[in-house]
Amino acid sequence: MTRFTVRTERFATIAGYVAGFVLLFLIWHLAAVYLVKSVLFPPPIPVFDRAVVLIEDNILQEQIVASMRRILQGFLLGSVIGIPIGLAIGSFRIVRWLLEPWTEFFRFIPAVAMITVAVIWFGIGEESKIFLIAYTTVFVVVISTAAGVGAVGRDKIRAAQCLGASRLQVFALVALPATVPYILTGMRLAMANAFVTIVAAELIASNDGLGKLLWDARLFMQVEDIFVALVALGLLGFLTDRVFRLLIRAFAGRFNATV
Amino acid sequence: MALVTLEGVGKTYRGRTGAWEAVRDFSLDLAEGEFFCLLGTSGCGKTTVLNMVAGFEQPSTGRILLDGSPVERPGADRGVVFQGHDSLYDWLTAIENIGFGLRLRGMGRRDRRAKAEHYLHMVGLDGQGAKHPSELSGGMKQRIQIARALANDPRILLMDEPFGALDAMTRAVLQGELSRIWAETRKTVLFITHDIEEAVALATRVGVMKRGPGGTLKAVIPVDLPFPRERTSDAFMAAFREVHALIHDEIHGAH
Ligand SMILES: Nc1ncnc2c1ncn2[C@@H]1O[C@H](COP(=O)(O)OP(=O)(O)OP(=O)(O)O)[C@@H](O)[C@H]1O
Ligand SMILES: [Mg+2]
Repeated sequence: MTRFTVRTERFATIAGYVAGFVLLFLIWHLAAVYLVKSVLFPPPIPVFDRAVVLIEDNILQEQIVASMRRILQGFLLGSVIGIPIGLAIGSFRIVRWLLEPWTEFFRFIPAVAMITVAVIWFGIGEESKIFLIAYTTVFVVVISTAAGVGAVGRDKIRAAQCLGASRLQVFALVALPATVPYILTGMRLAMANAFVTIVAAELIASNDGLGKLLWDARLFMQVEDIFVALVALGLLGFLTDRVFRLLIRAFAGRFNATV
Repeated sequence: MALVTLEGVGKTYRGRTGAWEAVRDFSLDLAEGEFFCLLGTSGCGKTTVLNMVAGFEQPSTGRILLDGSPVERPGADRGVVFQGHDSLYDWLTAIENIGFGLRLRGMGRRDRRAKAEHYLHMVGLDGQGAKHPSELSGGMKQRIQIARALANDPRILLMDEPFGALDAMTRAVLQGELSRIWAETRKTVLFITHDIEEAVALATRVGVMKRGPGGTLKAVIPVDLPFPRERTSDAFMAAFREVHALIHDEIHGAH
């Protein structure tokens, strides 16, 4: 019975997504064919045809892999740096006093503004892109992790203390697990930022990637290519977020019933 | 010798709005094995007293002794059951919550599980051990809290309006269970409530507090009724009236 309802619910969700995308492409088609009627705004069918060509030539896959690899590397690096810093800021007042000015300062300097610096420092190779993604990830993860530590209920900590917990035990067995949902939420937000940053970085300084595809298409006025890149970005972002949500459910669903 | 002694304990909070004397000159001896109910109107300083005994807060004046030594910080010898159920660990199952204190002490997995199961049974939740707090009702969560505190075998159990947020029927059931558990374990209990009937139903002694500022102990009344207590009996009614008369002034007194 429950299996059945879970299945139908999942089916309904997927059906909803499919219907939503179909509607989106339908409106796009109608707008392009009947409203705008310009070569600068192709309808979906030629764009898909072009996508098929790019896939057959293995071009689209290469750009996607290039962009996604950078995103993942920078994102993981940023998270690995950000989580301990966030935990320290949330746990120790001295660390907070020392580091909060940093986070409050740098988070207002967007990664996009750092592209020139990154290129000067690291060249147009992989390092500059990974640096930028890590940069954009770190502050979001730090801030949400620190907020998570601060939001651990006072009674949870007190309960542990009067069960005999040491400071280290309070941290490892109460504060840390209570913060996991905040960390994951921060990482999810950071992933969205990473997409913004990678496209901007590849537009300006790269030999491949979806941003480069966009840039070349603009140079050679291949309007369909532009739209292929845009649709690919949207779908990749969507899929990445789904995967992230599934991971959150699988690893941390029990940490928080509302995830 | 008393298990817990409060000697002229006072607590003044200092904050944005100036100083607030929450508790003044509070003295009390708690004997081993007694069930003491601290009764008072909202804001009279009950939680403040409990927090000081638990070691969460320090008295501004006077001192608190446990077995003759001053209380300085929270410790495993004083188990606390909190008013809300935010103190349970959402990421642990019911049984893991109950065994949390044992885990802190490094008890092995299997011993821990066996002991936790014992207390799960004691609070009447057999078979519910695998559930997470989000899958338990308010009453069940309070049972888990009680089991968690008891599993750690503290010298005294401190309970701050543990049934305050429950509906009247669930509350009556849990009061009955707590009374039974206390009779089984003879654990010393300091129980806070603002419900006269609850106090008379559970306590061996009821302490009535005067309302603040400067909340203090106004009177202590022994309740010498046998357990389980019959709430409609004349003796219960008489005890209820006696306590009620004392607290009446606190509720309706000019202020
Ligand atoms: N941290 C604090 N800072 C300032 N004032 C406080 C603080 N905690 C409590 N008080 C004040 O001390 C008084 C007693 O508070 P306490 O929480 O002990 O009351 P209580 O008897 O437990 O009330 P209730 O039955 O509503 O829980 C109140 O007037 C309250 O405003
Ligand atoms: Mg209170």
